[in-house]
Amino acid sequence: MLLVDFQIASRNLLRHTRRNLFLGGALAVTTALLVLLNGLADGMKASLLESATTLMTGHVNVGGFYKITSSTAAPLVTDYQKVLAETKKHVPELDYYTVRVRGYAKAVSEKGSMDLVLGGVDVAHEPGLRRILQRVDGRLDDLQEPGTLMLFEDQAKRLEVKVGDMVTLVAPTTRGQSNTADLRVVFIAKGVGLMSAFSSFLPAETLRKLYNLREGNTGAIQLYLKDHRKAAEVAARLRTRLAAAGWQVLDSDPKPYWMKLFQTIPSEDWTGQKLDMSTWEDEMSFLSWIFSAVRVLSTILIFVLMAIVIVGILNTLAIAIRERTREIGTLRAIGMQRRKVRWLLLLEAGLLGVISSGAGAAAALALAAGLNRAQIDVPEPVQMFLMQQHLFLATAPAGALGYAAILAAVTTLASLLPATWAARLQPISAMHHIG
Amino acid sequence: MKRIALAVLLLALAPPARALTQPEALGLVSTLDERTHNNGDFAGLCYLEQKEKDKSDVVYELVYYRRSEGQRLLMLFTKPKSEAGKGYLRIEKNLWMYDPGTGKWERRTERERIGGTDSRRGDFDESRLAEEYDVRWEGDEKLGAYSAHRLVLSAREGADVAFPTLRLWLDSATGNLLKRQDLALSGRLMRTALYPRWKKVWSESKKGDVWYPEQIYLYDEIEKANSTMVVIKQVDLRSLSPNMFTKAWLEAKSR
Repeated sequence: MLLVDFQIASRNLLRHTRRNLFLGGALAVTTALLVLLNGLADGMKASLLESATTLMTGHVNVGGFYKITSSTAAPLVTDYQKVLAETKKHVPELDYYTVRVRGYAKAVSEKGSMDLVLGGVDVAHEPGLRRILQRVDGRLDDLQEPGTLMLFEDQAKRLEVKVGDMVTLVAPTTRGQSNTADLRVVFIAKGVGLMSAFSSFLPAETLRKLYNLREGNTGAIQLYLKDHRKAAEVAARLRTRLAAAGWQVLDSDPKPYWMKLFQTIPSEDWTGQKLDMSTWEDEMSFLSWIFSAVRVLSTILIFVLMAIVIVGILNTLAIAIRERTREIGTLRAIGMQRRKVRWLLLLEAGLLGVISSGAGAAAALALAAGLNRAQIDVPEPVQMFLMQQHLFLATAPAGALGYAAILAAVTTLASLLPATWAARLQPISAMHHIG
Repeated sequence: MKRIALAVLLLALAPPARALTQPEALGLVSTLDERTHNNGDFAGLCYLEQKEKDKSDVVYELVYYRRSEGQRLLMLFTKPKSEAGKGYLRIEKNLWMYDPGTGKWERRTERERIGGTDSRRGDFDESRLAEEYDVRWEGDEKLGAYSAHRLVLSAREGADVAFPTLRLWLDSATGNLLKRQDLALSGRLMRTALYPRWKKVWSESKKGDVWYPEQIYLYDEIEKANSTMVVIKQVDLRSLSPNMFTKAWLEAKSR
């Protein structure tokens, strides 16, 4: 019986090819847009995760602040080997870790100046950096020499320097005294979105010297987990366990460390060492507005498109019912129940919804795969917001099917009203209808 | 010819400038501190002219108040309009900045550039160099028309100072500060200050003169194009209201 219903619904759809193609096309485009926009947002997040966890943060960071006086704060972890040993005990999910010196300084060249968030690295032990940083000029290996600096392309332009030029970094030591370091630019890399607007790298030892740090002190221990989704859970666990082991630990505050260094920490009255656990999402929270903006914009767009689709369905079915009033009257006269009439019309709309949104989702998946394979270069101004050098859409078949199902359900629900009108038609008056 | 030869001989035989002992050098710096110390209250009107690369010059006007007791300092910007109401307050060795735009107080360090200029808190406060630094005589030299002692000051252990090393040129005749260089821990010169004019006013509370620099020229030695001129006027040593050095007072004045 169900098969017969499907046959009737399919034939009815095929009888009005042009109208249904138009409506189905709109549904397919809406589904495809939904899949692509979400793919873009997820792609941005995936790119951010990859570049951020290489450039600036681990999945979880065991960082901290040291305050000699209540007004002088430095981003550092003292005796980090002890902290690391205790941390390892409580993180069975740990894949690997890196140790980074953190800093913030004013970079001054002959022609310009700008503020930089600094990462003190041992480039020989940071294979991820090599993967992410794309060369414009110079050699990344030269960053192993003390007194050297790596800049991103835009920073080099702003400071008007090239490989071999000198840049002076001005920063306070942990004791709050002014210090400087004259560094030679050895590597210039292509930008990687917003992060490359302000972050830069230099040898850990050089940054240690600028901050006047002892050997056993560092900026943060960056933990990389086997599953990055467990970051918040691991950070919360470490907060409790390290506090229980005797360290002073700051409460969770989802901000990047450099914001805390300038906004929160100097206003607090304590002195000494406090550890601070953060996740990669905390460290990147200053970029969350971009994701929110993309999500809000895509939601608005989808709502508008859905409203158009619903109006289209209402209109199309109303026309269809008007055209088929006599047919419906005849069906009712030969004994078809109202429920059956409603069911047939709902099935018709549902079928249209499933086929169209399914086709839209499939087309979107194919398009996304094609775009990803094409490695399309994102224009530089747009890179800042998309956080990608090449366009990447993170689309998954399961997600696309989900969106198709939502669109099909919306289509079916939208047809409920006209289907009910049709079911209510009196057989005698319907048969006499001239349309 | 004989006269020239005699003059050269005399110059060669003339004794070199006598090195100042460490207590003598410290004494000179202590005198400098003592001269700016009032043992009471101090009020002044100040203009800051800031020159920055690729920016138009900005002139700030501010009033500042000091109280020797508790080493208190309060600064309130009055001009330009965009900066009016901003202020700094030093309480118990903590420097706080108030922004009327946000209504928030933020703790700042000794390195804070006052109003974003090349001036620091120490340029407006009573000098405490002998307390904060160890002093060593480096040499005597001519500074324009003046004969000057050149001293090197190194920050004492635990002193909360912006610059770990200073170099001072003190007028041999008057003991006034003529020039100051602020050096980073790396030894790099960061800022040079010139003090062309010192003034003194009689202080009832001190029963003596209080000295202040009427003009200071500050040169950023890292960003060479940046400089600030500080002009201090209308100095008044009468007692100030007892409740002045509070956050509430500054907030009320900011409105």
